[in-house]
Amino acid sequence: MTLDESYELGYVVKTHGLKGQVVAEFDVDDVEEYLDVEEVFVERPVGSGKLYRFAVERLSQQAGTRVLLKLKGVDRIEDAELLRGLKLFRPLDELPELEDDQFYFHDVVGFTVVDANLGKLGTVEAFYELPEQDLLAMRYQGQEVLIPVVDELVQHADEDSKELYVTLPEGLLEVYLSPPSRERDEPDEFDEA
Amino acid sequence: MARSLKKGPYIDFRLERKVQVMEESNKKSVVKTWSRRSMISPDFVGHTFAVHNGNKFIPVYVTENMVGHKLGEFAPTRNFRGHVAKKDKGKR
Repeated sequence: MTLDESYELGYVVKTHGLKGQVVAEFDVDDVEEYLDVEEVFVERPVGSGKLYRFAVERLSQQAGTRVLLKLKGVDRIEDAELLRGLKLFRPLDELPELEDDQFYFHDVVGFTVVDANLGKLGTVEAFYELPEQDLLAMRYQGQEVLIPVVDELVQHADEDSKELYVTLPEGLLEVYLSPPSRERDEPDEFDEA
Repeated sequence: MARSLKKGPYIDFRLERKVQVMEESNKKSVVKTWSRRSMISPDFVGHTFAVHNGNKFIPVYVTENMVGHKLGEFAPTRNFRGHVAKKDKGKR
């Protein structure tokens, strides 16, 4: 399996105990869906593109999206230390099925953003995951335009036409296209009088 | 110390006025604001605010569970990229 055929499940945060267990952070919405994974892949050395398979011996959920992971063949803290900070991968074809209006972020990078009123706008460049709301970054007229990823604004993605359908609120594009001027947008109350 | 209940929540009056005007005209356009300290009132739900983070505007679509929080909480000012281990530490 290559990196192109895999997705990033999370990364190893630290070791746990002396018998080779590690704490991993899973970059997923619902950890419970991943508690029965039987194998994970680790890129070693980092940047080489070579993935090594590890069978999962035990996996239990900790707080939030953290899990306690015991990999087969990693039985000492010295072995576990080598995994610290490494990313964990899984095969792309084992991603859970999504509903019709849902999509994975990595799938829609490069898609054309189509607004319900304005038509084709630009292409999806990246996603920024913020604590409360994720943001979609779109390149439009040379500027990076951010769009909150919420059901009200981002409708669905069409994999055949490689288009992502959105309904942008009025004035969002102008926020990024016009140079910011606090004096113009928020005049002082004494100036108005 | 928490803000006195007697005073009520702080909301920038210009921001509040803009939202009121939009509510009356039933419009939902993006409101640019630098007022990160303004509390999100129930009137803000369903509106999108472009909150300045010191560098650029971060769009925030307000939902019900954000009411009572400050706008600035949803527009981070720092971008944590993790700590990178120095590989050549100690070498000359």
